[in-house]
Amino acid sequence: MEEDYLLIKKYLDGDQASLKMLIDKHTPSIYNFTSRFVGVDQAKDTTQEIFIKVWKNLKNFDVSKAQFKTWIFTIARNTITDYLRKKKSISFSSMGEDNFIEETIKDESDLPDEIFQKLQDKEMLNKVLEEIPALYKEVLMLHYQEDMTFKEIGEVLNKPLNTVKNYHFRAIKKLKEICTKV
Amino acid sequence: MNNDLSKLMKQAYNQPETGLSADIWRVIEVKQAEGLKIKSLSYGFIGILSLGGFVLMSVSIVKQLSTSGFFQYFSLAFSDGSLISVYWKEYLLSLSDSLPVASLGVTFFLLFSMLVSIKKSIEQYKNKLLIS
Repeated sequence: MEEDYLLIKKYLDGDQASLKMLIDKHTPSIYNFTSRFVGVDQAKDTTQEIFIKVWKNLKNFDVSKAQFKTWIFTIARNTITDYLRKKKSISFSSMGEDNFIEETIKDESDLPDEIFQKLQDKEMLNKVLEEIPALYKEVLMLHYQEDMTFKEIGEVLNKPLNTVKNYHFRAIKKLKEICTKV
Repeated sequence: MNNDLSKLMKQAYNQPETGLSADIWRVIEVKQAEGLKIKSLSYGFIGILSLGGFVLMSVSIVKQLSTSGFFQYFSLAFSDGSLISVYWKEYLLSLSDSLPVASLGVTFFLLFSMLVSIKKSIEQYKNKLLIS
């Protein structure tokens, strides 16, 4: 599959098919990300809204400043926040950031076997993802589902690297807590 | 463990219904067409207004040039060349004084906006062809 920046360049040079390819390529990940925050019923419309914003702003996208993937997820995040705000739900930033203290980051990504066993069940994993605060959930999703590095997640969240690592640490901790409770 | 959790998380991927990206593409196509239509109409409107203004201003300039004596000064250049070669500074000053500068400025602006709107209309037409 062609690189994103080549597709963007081709589209800006007048090749409409490149934009279509770009949409085809990123629809599943954007839909998956969106559906976890706005719900499956609303995910289709929100995904559509995100891609319309992407199309409208594609001329302003600077390849030298950001990767397309981080840029599109930033747009997705902002669109979701707007939707949740309109719905008067709680936004990303207000979820899970309570009493935030920089902690010494240790590798907290080790999950005990019993928790792993529980998470093997897809329903269980969905339940855990539903319960986990949005801020932590997005770090988990971007890191484990979209294979983004913490640095890239920092660009999406507009947060420094250490903060993202801290969110990840807390996300894993929360995941363990929820799994232990259930 | 990173890989294991990654595997688990990927299993919980919410897949979109088939045809979602095609639907998104269709919406974008419709919006592109609407945008082109609005832009074409706007440029056409600006072009017509500029053309009208340009014609009116041109008529007005001709009138102003004849009342300010510009044509008389100008014809002097062809009738009495030797006199002008002696008093060329005074001649040029009188000639420039008789020019309706403000009206000329407006006319050139109208001409410029007319040319820009023609250029933009051609661009919109090309874009329309690309989309279709």
